[in-house]
Amino acid sequence: MADTSHLELREQFSTPEQQRESAISGMWIFIVTELMLFGGLFVAFTVYRLRYPAAFTRGSSEMEYWMGALNTGILISSSLTMSLAEYFVAQNKSMRGAILLLVTILLGAAFLGIKFTEYYLHFHDHKMPAFGFEETGPFAPQVQLFFVFYYVMTGLHSLHLLIGIGLVFFMFVPTALRSLNAEYHTPLDNTSLYWHFIDVIWVFLFAIFYIPGAHIR
Amino acid sequence: MATHMLPETAARNYLNEEDGIFSWLLTTDHKRIALLYTFSITLLFFLGGAFAVLMRLNLLSPHGAIVGLETYNKLFTMHGVIMVWFFLIPSIPNTIGNFVLPMAVGAKDLAFPKLNLLSWYLFMLGAFVAIYSIFRGGVDTGWTFYTPLSTTYAMGYVVSAAMGVFISGFSSILTGLNFMVTIHRMRAPGMTWFRMPIFCWSMYATSVIFVLATPILAITLILICIERVFRVGVFDPALGGDPLLFQHMFWFYSHPAVYIMVLPAMAVVSEIIPTFSRKPIFGYKAVAFSSLGIAFLGFLVWGHHMFVAGISVYSALAFSFLSYAVAVPSAIKVFNWTATMYHGSVSLETPMLYAIGFIGLFTIGGMTGLMLAALGIDVHVTDTYFVVAHFHYIMVGGAVMGFLGGIHFWWPKISGKMYPEFLAKLSALIIFFGFNLTFFPQFILGYMGMNRRYGSYAPEFQNLNVLSTAGASILGVGYILPLCYLIWSWKYGPVAPPNPWRATGLEWKTNSPPPKHNFDETPLVTWKAYEFEAQKEELNLG
Amino acid sequence: MTEQHPSLMTIALTWFGLLGLTLLTSLLGLVNLGAMNPTVAVIIAAVQASLIALFLMHALKGPALIRVIAAGGVLWFLIMMVLTLTDFITRGWLLPFGK
Repeated sequence: MADTSHLELREQFSTPEQQRESAISGMWIFIVTELMLFGGLFVAFTVYRLRYPAAFTRGSSEMEYWMGALNTGILISSSLTMSLAEYFVAQNKSMRGAILLLVTILLGAAFLGIKFTEYYLHFHDHKMPAFGFEETGPFAPQVQLFFVFYYVMTGLHSLHLLIGIGLVFFMFVPTALRSLNAEYHTPLDNTSLYWHFIDVIWVFLFAIFYIPGAHIR
Repeated sequence: MATHMLPETAARNYLNEEDGIFSWLLTTDHKRIALLYTFSITLLFFLGGAFAVLMRLNLLSPHGAIVGLETYNKLFTMHGVIMVWFFLIPSIPNTIGNFVLPMAVGAKDLAFPKLNLLSWYLFMLGAFVAIYSIFRGGVDTGWTFYTPLSTTYAMGYVVSAAMGVFISGFSSILTGLNFMVTIHRMRAPGMTWFRMPIFCWSMYATSVIFVLATPILAITLILICIERVFRVGVFDPALGGDPLLFQHMFWFYSHPAVYIMVLPAMAVVSEIIPTFSRKPIFGYKAVAFSSLGIAFLGFLVWGHHMFVAGISVYSALAFSFLSYAVAVPSAIKVFNWTATMYHGSVSLETPMLYAIGFIGLFTIGGMTGLMLAALGIDVHVTDTYFVVAHFHYIMVGGAVMGFLGGIHFWWPKISGKMYPEFLAKLSALIIFFGFNLTFFPQFILGYMGMNRRYGSYAPEFQNLNVLSTAGASILGVGYILPLCYLIWSWKYGPVAPPNPWRATGLEWKTNSPPPKHNFDETPLVTWKAYEFEAQKEELNLG
Repeated sequence: MTEQHPSLMTIALTWFGLLGLTLLTSLLGLVNLGAMNPTVAVIIAAVQASLIALFLMHALKGPALIRVIAAGGVLWFLIMMVLTLTDFITRGWLLPFGK
């Protein structure tokens, strides 16, 4: 058993294993709360999608399809680098882990850059509700409804991604300083869980916003 | 009386371990945080109660005796918002739950003590933001924030009230998370799931609801704030939105929320009844699984708040059936508590009075709930005082009585002092009488057709309204008495022994008040819960 | 430490799988599958989510409690979805299981 005398065992715990397992279980419960948070929006979206299929398909056709697909690839790759970071830190190769965390941050930032470019393009085309939204043709109000969901759901996702980038940065410093290492890396593991969850949400967002109207662009 | 605690160790406890305001404001000790919460929710209870007093005074006259109709709308809204989110939801979990749960499982603290402190600060922040909306002029949408009134037409401070509730929701989520991990990972050696007191099972079930339901409230409140601020949103019929979607999302949280309010009271009753009957709880596993059953089924019934709102008949049928189903585990608990008392050696100390009161009043509330679950009856009495009476029987007759019973039961442990028994019994009886006089007439009023949320009413309803207001005054006196004598007893009450009730939980095996780390040595549990007979000698010693 | 981490191979394969599924769903999106487009997309997303949860979030190899928590969350989301939709889907029905 490695020397854990310098490990911060909090007073309420009896063993480091108990502390670690508690932290990981707590993080998973938190992730379930986030699942329910986004879940409410997915349920609401589904209700309207079933009611207004033509309008929602039309709204979807106005998405920047390849930017969305590229973003999906970027976020998936950031999950790769995050998992690799976790792997190397657990192998006591914290410097390699730290570099991978930096790459994760860069990929996350790239995602946000593309996302905000999309937002700007939509704004420019008068597809931003409450900011000069214009739409003609049948079911125009329902197309606006689609866009309200688009902004709220991807906006909430982007907010979570921004928080995630902050968390990864908070992990970068101790990892680079090697205080997160093979013996103790629970905060990094939890940050990784959060990051992967953001990826999970995104793949569903891509599926419901970008794909349905892609074939009629 | 005989005690096997050394006088020196009894003197050092969590209350005097550290001094100064920051040792309280920056504490991570679950016991101190429980007291911080107790202080806050007591203030908020009396604030919510003040709104109720104004409402009942106003209803003395058919034309509204003291306030105009718009003000009346604000009164019932703020009464609801404060009582639901800033009193009932946090009450037992964050006071008694915080204090007792870690000790009951034999732990030194909760799994995440700093998150526990954070949850109190978030609660306070939420309360301030919600109260801000009161001082700026109030909200008049009802605590249910229905659209399109809340999103489009209401003139009050909807966004700040909603944001106050939103912030306090994080406090709930953190508490639920903390309790769940504590029960899963921090039980003392030998304390298997089926050796835990029922209190822990019910608090676990409550925590599951905290964690799964509260996020839906959060997202729903965000959506109405977005719609109100940006004037475009997903509930707006002009865009094809459906106001009923709001109601589905709101009640998906708010129905389980009522089980957040009642399960902890059941947890308390499940400790009091065996102790004051000197018998193990009847049907331990049935009661334990019923707690989980209530939590699960409670998520499947929310549509019964929407029977007349426009949902489909088939959906209404499904929700009606499921609402009948959720009564079954509650009934099992009532039967089992009663069976626990049967042939037990029952003594009627104050906590037991509250527990027995709970059983009776919760049963009335529950039975009238079944009446409301029947579509035919609901169509007649929905949005009348019948519903108001029903939920007050559960919330006040049930949850508040449970809260008071628990406070009295654990008072010696928390404060190290005994409360005055005669005065406490008297208060319990005053509360019981005042409560029934306040709310029973409301069943009749509702059945006769008096609408809820109306600041004025038809003259034939006046007599019963006057009776109800008279009851409310008595009830108010009943609440003020414990506030006074409990505070008095903190300083002047007789010193309490470690286990005045000869109860069997782990928390009773340590001093009153407990030391900061709860136990001098980690307990090793080799016994089942409620073993009054087997532990008779040990219990009679302390 | 006693906990298991996925191997480099597992991580890499998962990544390839996820990218492959992304490519698949992006290409399928360009094909007119009628009403099935969104359904297929969501199914592929669900497969991707499962890969992420099982292999990258250690749900497969981790303690049983984690799987219970994750499954519970998914179950509750589905309860909310299905029971809410029963209202909206049956709104116009005069007879059961029909219009």
